[in-house]
Amino acid sequence: MTDASVSRPPPLLDSRLEILKKRLFSNWFDGIVTLVAGSALVWIVVSIVDWAFLNAVWSEAEASRCREVSGACWSVIEARGRLVLFGLYPSEQHWRSTLACLVIVLTMILSCLPAMWGLKRLPALWIAGFGTFVILMYGGIFGLSVVTTEQWGGLSLTVFIFAGVFVLGMPMAVGLALARRSKLPVIHWLAAVFIDTVRSLPLLTILFAAAVVVPFVVPHWAQGDKLGRVIVAFAVFYAAYQAEIIRAGIQSIPSGQEEASQALGMSYRAVVFDIILPQAFRNTLPSTINQVVITFKETSIVTIIGFFDVTASASAAVGRGEWGAYYVEIYVFVALIYFVFVFGLSRYGAYLERRTRLHHG
Amino acid sequence: MIKSTIKTVAAAAMMAGLALPASAADPGPTITQIQERGSLLCTSHNGSYLGFAEVDDDGKWSGFDIEMCKALATAILGNPEALQLIPVSWAQRFPALQSGDIDVIIKVTGWTMSRDTELGLQYSRPYFIGPTNILVRSDLGATTPEDLEGGVFCINAGTSIERIVADYMGARGITYEALNFEKAEELRAALYAGRCDALAGFGPFLAATRFNAPDPEGFTILDAVLALEPEGIAAREGDDGFIDVINWMMSALLMAEENGITQANVDDIRANPPSASVERLLGASPGVGERLGLSDDWAYNMIKAVGNYGEIYDRTVGEGSVYKLPRGKNHLWSNGGLLYPLVLD
Repeated sequence: MTDASVSRPPPLLDSRLEILKKRLFSNWFDGIVTLVAGSALVWIVVSIVDWAFLNAVWSEAEASRCREVSGACWSVIEARGRLVLFGLYPSEQHWRSTLACLVIVLTMILSCLPAMWGLKRLPALWIAGFGTFVILMYGGIFGLSVVTTEQWGGLSLTVFIFAGVFVLGMPMAVGLALARRSKLPVIHWLAAVFIDTVRSLPLLTILFAAAVVVPFVVPHWAQGDKLGRVIVAFAVFYAAYQAEIIRAGIQSIPSGQEEASQALGMSYRAVVFDIILPQAFRNTLPSTINQVVITFKETSIVTIIGFFDVTASASAAVGRGEWGAYYVEIYVFVALIYFVFVFGLSRYGAYLERRTRLHHG
Repeated sequence: MIKSTIKTVAAAAMMAGLALPASAADPGPTITQIQERGSLLCTSHNGSYLGFAEVDDDGKWSGFDIEMCKALATAILGNPEALQLIPVSWAQRFPALQSGDIDVIIKVTGWTMSRDTELGLQYSRPYFIGPTNILVRSDLGATTPEDLEGGVFCINAGTSIERIVADYMGARGITYEALNFEKAEELRAALYAGRCDALAGFGPFLAATRFNAPDPEGFTILDAVLALEPEGIAAREGDDGFIDVINWMMSALLMAEENGITQANVDDIRANPPSASVERLLGASPGVGERLGLSDDWAYNMIKAVGNYGEIYDRTVGEGSVYKLPRGKNHLWSNGGLLYPLVLD
């Protein structure tokens, strides 16, 4: 306290330089590694900047220059980007697809807010959100022309499939996890067989069966829409994996908690929803987010049964004579779309982890 | 004497028996279904297949297969817009047809024995003759496969192309080196970068590859045809009325080309038909519709909507398109091709 000048730390910048020097050039071998890796990094960054910005063509009007330059041809995004975002949806109705996509994203954001978490609020929100989406996309009322599901596509289809799978799959997963822990042997056994069967089938097979095989074995009136069948099948697949994650979470809770709450006279419902599940979800948050992110990316598999999600639309976007050479640009565009959503999901997961730690930690 | 009388009676009975279904003009279950629904359910692609089914900037389908769907929709329902194009993947097309998701497959589908006999399909006459060709670098100056002796071929790994090239070159004793790639993009990049002298593949794919090259003039498609795959229109087995309509649709498109009837002049020719068969084809005199269970002006409507076969070809994959795929075997017989109309009587 009395002699502050002695204990004053050296200027910050110097200490950082010191640390850098110590970490990167502490001996001759480290120095060489640093120089080689550093120049490789610089070369990569320079090449990317060169390709993506300096030598790129930006507007559709200049598309004829694309063959001459060595960089990216972003004209293809201006010309074909709408196709990636909307798929086969009729172009004069694109506003409906945009609005529907916003509605479903908003629904998902709202259901992420802790204030909405309730056994009544959440289903109400989902019914409202999905109902609005279907009305906007399908039409047929309020003077909107009918657009059948074969024409749905692009981002709104991808987001709809993902949201549908999650919203149907999560309650199913909770049910399966609880059933698998049931003390009744039949229920326990059925849940176990169901989960293990679904997990041992490839997703592709399940979706193909739902889209293509069901019409052969189910009477016409009971078939429903192909898109609906595919979402349900996808949800079942998701639920089988998610159920095991939740079960792991449930098993991580000391059994004394459940016994204590029963001893206090709490109902099964209260034990499950107030004691067990909140902790199970908190404990398995990282793996749940993992599964959700994987599911979002896996939605692109629906292209094999003829749906025009973002990835299929992208391949349609480059599948035209004049744009066939610029697939890298289109795929970069698609990658950015996926990045925005997946990064958002990861950040939300991180927020949830922080939040639950604050409350319980 | 008695024997020959019996023969005559039997023959007459057979004739009468054969003539019976023709005069009844039952169009068959598929066409009845299409007419009740008011639209044809035809195939498109899960993505795009260059030249045959591609999507324009507004999300509308175009291409050779799509034009054939429009022609069929116009023939049956009189309106090219009375068409629902259902995107299906390659693997999905056959089950989708059997389950009734689609009425017909027009999707560059080769006419093979197993598909014809085991999958419950019935094929129309081929509507496109798919050649396997060779695309070469122009600076090599090659005009025949023999000129490529010792050259490097880029080939799509694990496809029938691999075998076709081996058979063709083996039979002629031409040695070559094969460079295999899994994806179309890799094949193209290798050719453009000069890693191979030639690229063997399906003709339309080669045309697109040449168009997308940094210097399209630097590449040439050789005339030599290594193999042919006849592409047919496939429908569910056992619906003869529908296959009749498809075959006569195809025939009418070719007959129109043979007689110089185009989208632009079809009205003039209908007003002043040069021959009795053209007059009948365009429905100026009756007969062409009733026997198929359609209206008499179905061929006129179709040509008015999409043009003749040559016009469709030029617009989608030929000279009028970016691909500039030569007509080759898809010319009329009179121009050295393999296509011909049937006889309209």
